[in-house]
Amino acid sequence: MILVLMLVVSLAGALGLGLLPGVRRAAAVAVAITISGVVLALACGAAATFDRTRAGEAQLGVDASWIPQLGVRFHIGVDGLSLPLVVLTALLTTLCCIHAIRYVPEPGNPATYLAVLLGLETALLATFMSLDLVLFFAAFESVLLPMYFLIAIWGGPARRAAATKFVLFTLLGSTLMLVAIFALRVHTGSSDIVTMAAAHGAGIPTGVQNALFLGFLAAFAIKAPLWPFHSWLPDAHSEAPTAGSVLLAGVLLKMGTYGLLRLAVPVLPHAAHTFAPLLGGLATVAIIYGAFCCLAQTDVKRLIAYSSVGHMGFILLGIATLTPLGISAALFGNVAHGVITSLLFFLAGSLKERDHTYSIAELGPGLLKRAPRLGAVLIFGLIATLGLPGLAGFWGEVLAIFASFRPANGLPLVAFRFFMGAALLGTLLAAGYALWLIQRVVTGRPREGAVATEDISRVEWAAWAPLIGLTLVLGLYPDLVLGVSRAAALAVLGAQQ
Amino acid sequence: MIAQSAWLLPALPAFAALAVLVAGPQLGTRGAWLAVLATLVPTVLSIWMLLQTIDRLNHALTSAPVIAAHRIATLGPLSVSASTRVDGLAALLCVVVTVVALCVQVYSTAYMRDDSRYSSYAAFVSLFTAAMLIVVLSGDLLWLLVGWEVMGICSYLLIGHHWEDKPNTDAAISAFIVTRFGDLGFTAGLAVFAIGAGSTSISTVLGATYSHTTLVVGSLLLLMGVVGKSAQFPLQTWLPEAMAGPTPVSALIHAATMVAAGVYVVDRLAPIALTGASSATLAVIASITMVFAALCALAQEDLKRVLAWSTVSQLAYMYAGLAMHSNAGIAHLVTHAAFKALLFLAAGCVAHAVGSTLMSKMGGLRRGMPLTFISMTVGLATLGGFPMLSGFVTKDAVLESAWSARETGVVATWAAWLVLVAGVVTAVITAAYCVRVWLRVFAGRAPKGVRPHDPPLAMSAPVLFLTIPSAFVGLLLTGHWFEVLLFGDPTTAVPLEGVSFTGVQGGVQVQLSWALVSSAAAAVGAGTLFLVWRAAPHRDPARILGRSQAFIRDGMRMGELYVRLFVRPLRDRFAPTVATIDRRVIDGGVVGTGRSAVGLGGLLRRTQTGNVQLYITVLLVGVLALAVGAVAL
Amino acid sequence: MIHLAAPLLLAAGLFSCGIYGVLARRNAVLVLMSIELMLGAVNVNLLAFDSYFHDQLHGGQILALFVIAIAAAEVGVGLAIVLQLHRARGSIAIDLARGLADEDPPRGAQ
Repeated sequence: MILVLMLVVSLAGALGLGLLPGVRRAAAVAVAITISGVVLALACGAAATFDRTRAGEAQLGVDASWIPQLGVRFHIGVDGLSLPLVVLTALLTTLCCIHAIRYVPEPGNPATYLAVLLGLETALLATFMSLDLVLFFAAFESVLLPMYFLIAIWGGPARRAAATKFVLFTLLGSTLMLVAIFALRVHTGSSDIVTMAAAHGAGIPTGVQNALFLGFLAAFAIKAPLWPFHSWLPDAHSEAPTAGSVLLAGVLLKMGTYGLLRLAVPVLPHAAHTFAPLLGGLATVAIIYGAFCCLAQTDVKRLIAYSSVGHMGFILLGIATLTPLGISAALFGNVAHGVITSLLFFLAGSLKERDHTYSIAELGPGLLKRAPRLGAVLIFGLIATLGLPGLAGFWGEVLAIFASFRPANGLPLVAFRFFMGAALLGTLLAAGYALWLIQRVVTGRPREGAVATEDISRVEWAAWAPLIGLTLVLGLYPDLVLGVSRAAALAVLGAQQ
Repeated sequence: MIAQSAWLLPALPAFAALAVLVAGPQLGTRGAWLAVLATLVPTVLSIWMLLQTIDRLNHALTSAPVIAAHRIATLGPLSVSASTRVDGLAALLCVVVTVVALCVQVYSTAYMRDDSRYSSYAAFVSLFTAAMLIVVLSGDLLWLLVGWEVMGICSYLLIGHHWEDKPNTDAAISAFIVTRFGDLGFTAGLAVFAIGAGSTSISTVLGATYSHTTLVVGSLLLLMGVVGKSAQFPLQTWLPEAMAGPTPVSALIHAATMVAAGVYVVDRLAPIALTGASSATLAVIASITMVFAALCALAQEDLKRVLAWSTVSQLAYMYAGLAMHSNAGIAHLVTHAAFKALLFLAAGCVAHAVGSTLMSKMGGLRRGMPLTFISMTVGLATLGGFPMLSGFVTKDAVLESAWSARETGVVATWAAWLVLVAGVVTAVITAAYCVRVWLRVFAGRAPKGVRPHDPPLAMSAPVLFLTIPSAFVGLLLTGHWFEVLLFGDPTTAVPLEGVSFTGVQGGVQVQLSWALVSSAAAAVGAGTLFLVWRAAPHRDPARILGRSQAFIRDGMRMGELYVRLFVRPLRDRFAPTVATIDRRVIDGGVVGTGRSAVGLGGLLRRTQTGNVQLYITVLLVGVLALAVGAVAL
Repeated sequence: MIHLAAPLLLAAGLFSCGIYGVLARRNAVLVLMSIELMLGAVNVNLLAFDSYFHDQLHGGQILALFVIAIAAAEVGVGLAIVLQLHRARGSIAIDLARGLADEDPPRGAQ
């Protein structure tokens, strides 16, 4: 019931704020923080009551009849795959609402803005909770709507084009997934994901499995995004408002990797095995390619966006190994990337609020002189993003690399060893672009005439401190997440063990 | 007791670092004292731990390490623990690390007093110490990697301490990237062994059996990381550049942490890191580095850079010892830690008095700063191989181990010979550059405007303290206890866990024959240089290198070569090309799809001219076509 | 009794003249007249077939009456439109009245 309550509260908040556009900013923000705070508290409650010893099974669920004519049920629940993402969603939304105390992007209208954020939260939570194919698809698609508005209304100068590209690109994948979902429904006679996952592809001919897998892969690869379907991401990020970028990178991208692990891999294991080398190869390209694109960027936000392409590459590489180690690494990477990249997007937003630009050349050098604490946190964030051990980013990457040393039986060993080497090289390039960015923006002597700028405000501390703390805690005690992902990873691979 | 308290060693400095970083500005100078305290307690603890371990070995007849582990990550087959694993080697290294770190922290209270960023500096030094202690104490490969890389980032942050100027941040980035390049291999090597053994626990990994290929490939990969971390050829470029950091940091990096970590890890993982192939490789790398770096040291103009290159050269001695599967490498690590910390801190005192680290600005400093003069003289004598001082004893042990390795066959005979020849040649050059430094800094007359004076007590006390171990710890290590400590008491014949192979063995013995050979080598080097100097006391004796001096001084321009070969093409050419392809081809394809859809629609729009008659004509044609079609078919 | 072909030929001729007028003439009034010609052709056909089939209900003749009535109404509306067109544009050339044409596609759309 606690999950339903989360959905109801956030949806009610969204509708309430949406229907009262004229509310004063302070009141709207207070309401939004309360609502998202309640949802976060519920999410923490769910995490607390979650039975970690049975992390592979769906828990706290509700399974009610919804559309009996089609056999579609309102089936929700969380397991080790989704629980960390549910908590992450609730956390990031709360932080975005806190951030709105300080800043609501042009053209203002805070009540509607916050309503859209809460609507996005509802849709995201629903996506991660659904255990019914049709429900999942509905939730997966409904995420698009608030995100579209967030970019198209509160975005930068080229927001319309970016928002349109984002929506059309994603819809292309979704359409293919819809076909796959119909076909799957026909073949299995059920739309219950748990049942289908338990069957592990039994009764679906190999050819059909492959076709269906490609359908799912299209949707999830675009969402993740996997190279070469990533080109909507830098545009969307560079135009989206800060909160949009935070949720986009922090949670939306994870829908892709989550979908692969929730649907594609367990339901169609044979096809997953067939396409794993392809997935691994594209993921490896993404790692290297993303890093090189980062080196060439002149815009902070686009740089962070491309770094996301690389990081998601590590996560997808972990999935492609089809081993418990790799999938645990991917699940951890999901959360770690969500935390670290959100922090970086918050930082980029704050830089823009102060200096009104994202351009690396104009922001730097010498931020550390002009705003010492802001500079220090930026260094921290960038060091975290390069995968320093002891911080959250490390485990997901290094374990994906470890996993690709020995992928699942039957996968081409040589190819994966090659991926491993390339991924390692990617970590070196990541260090290169992160440290170079520090050199160009944070350190150095400020230009003549540059003035001290506002250092981190209280609101910003409130929004960032949880992310900084989590980066450290997850880095030193990854079992916080890995504790639940291990059983989930085994469940995903079930039949192959 | 050890098991319950060992975790405090890294934890205390780490927490101090966190506290000082978070509350730095509020704490003021108290932050610095907090950092000192957080190093002092681990120092006391580690000395106690060492004594306990020796005692245990002597009486309880067991040499099994004391392990305490706390699981932090469970993944598939692997489970990673934040663990401590105390055996003789770890206990010994802990003492070395904490003592040097303590000296550096105390010294910094005076040296860095007026620095506006002292609190963050003290925090990073603490974190650095903590990371090194994690490496030393870790019983888990991945936890070791955590400490290993945190050290890397600390060195980055400390080398870039004066971050206003681009050369300093360049040096910092170079240090991180070069060592990280090595770490690619290290990580891959850890993956090979961790996946191969199905565990990341060091005990399990060392005890497992591997195929020959795995062992060879894995050990070479591990070596790659070690070579990067310890600035060995061909990844030595970052260390001299790292002189951009404050002097005490150099003492820390060169004496006890970072570069020493590589040596330690090779010994810790000896059964998997020192296979036949990798031993020979290591011997070759060490031999090249030794001579190369000693030559570079001879050509330097900057006092700190002389010391930096000498570190590279001395590290090569340690690796040569390890490549001979001898304990002498670790012994040299211990003595080197003492005298290199001493030399750097003393060089800091000199710089403090002169206001520069360039030797051309020095001279005649024997007057006016007697404490510094005495301690630095001892340090240089030790480094240069003055008979029976620490450096001499342990370097001799390395040469002796190579001599015996010719016959025992732990390594290829040619590799042993190579080490012997390189070792003797290096001994000659080392003595020469030590004499050169001594003459240029202390002999002659002080330049105008320089008033030599000894530094405040907080700086001179650590320097004086370090003089004692610099001189005598080598003789101490010749004792039986050292051999017992590292490898278990041979009389009790309890095999040390994980070292049941033909591995690193033996204590430190001074053999008369080798003592004579290396004394002679040192005398040749020192004598030659002294004669050159006496011929023209005002000129730099390094002129014996002739025209190549400038080339050698720049480290044979290898750093520049790497920048030209890799950094510039990749960063300035390739990356923009990829970005252009991304925009034109990949994004162009996406946008192109959209545009062509709109374009196709545009073609159909053309028919909507608004001319009714055209519409009717088309209608008629259509009707006729349908009618004809219907009739015909 | 004349042969059926004769009225059908007449109707075809009239219809062709009407088609030609509708498609080719620019003057809206002449276009309307041409439409009348085509309707007339249809009427001729209706009557001819009515008589040829001896339809008991005389459906052909009744339909022809409908057509005549509708044609009258149509001409009324048509001429009114033509009149408005003339007032608005000063011309009743039908190919100049292109208010329904698609505008140039907006630039910048993807």
